[in-house]
Amino acid sequence: MSELLVKARPYSLEHFLSNENLELADETVSEVFRTLLGFTAEALSASDAQGVAGEQNGRTAIVGFSGAMRGYCGVRLSSPAACAIASAMLGGMDIDEDDDSIDDGVGEICNMIAGGWKNRIPELSSRCSLSPPTVISGRDYKIHTVKPSVTVERVYKFDVHTLRVVLDYEQRSAEMGDPSVTPSSCTGELDRIAS
Amino acid sequence: MRKAVLLVDDSAMMRKVVSRTLKMAGLEFEQVLEAGDGAEALTCLRDNNVELIMCDINMPVMNGLELLQRIKEENLAVGVPIVMVTTEGSEPQVRQAILAGAKGYIRKPFSADHIKNSVTPLLAP
Repeated sequence: MSELLVKARPYSLEHFLSNENLELADETVSEVFRTLLGFTAEALSASDAQGVAGEQNGRTAIVGFSGAMRGYCGVRLSSPAACAIASAMLGGMDIDEDDDSIDDGVGEICNMIAGGWKNRIPELSSRCSLSPPTVISGRDYKIHTVKPSVTVERVYKFDVHTLRVVLDYEQRSAEMGDPSVTPSSCTGELDRIAS
Repeated sequence: MRKAVLLVDDSAMMRKVVSRTLKMAGLEFEQVLEAGDGAEALTCLRDNNVELIMCDINMPVMNGLELLQRIKEENLAVGVPIVMVTTEGSEPQVRQAILAGAKGYIRKPFSADHIKNSVTPLLAP
């Protein structure tokens, strides 16, 4: 009797940086916005994305990946954009900018984008887990990861707002030219971190 | 109109979204009970009769798969369809949920049509 050993392929940095990966991210964001919120979300070209100002006073939701790929999915948007998302989730209900349901809504959208993206990748679907979402609000903050990583960033337009999606891939030692470890920190003026 | 549904999700926003989508799918309940994790759901099921349970998987305190196990052990909600609603949704996880007693599986994001097609056949006429 022969025995068949199936070895799962690791998810490579090359695959992460491919155009196919960007298309999967676009497909996922488009599906989440269309299905749940009734918005059309379109990816901006790299040159158009450069023209989009950074969100000065906004929210960032983060969902971590562990298992076959380590890293995170981040969603960054302005407070009015976050409000528009929460309002759409509730069927168009008016929401104040300090309503707790906004963080909750942005965290769930990030969770769905992270899950939808990794479920589209056979090497990750059942071999990569998601952390619960964390939502940060404040201004001028930057997020630094503990280990060297590579990020892919995309800006999407929906309604009159924009949404920045960051996918972060933590490099394995074999993929690193420089194995030095950078410290983890979050700098800037933080209002709140909720998870 | 049907009597009661239990929505289990650690996100209050998602509980509202599921509740609204059930209505949009034509599935109206007199009472919408909510729980933020599996432990709260167990307490709720000991005190209430429901016709449907919609349950997330990844939750703090007690996750959805543990809840399915406890429902079976305590002989609660006998015959009540349990539908898992989650961002995860790999084949092994779906199999695990079905083996543990779930009758359906809906992946987020979902539309009213997804809910209608997945839930309606599970409910008594």
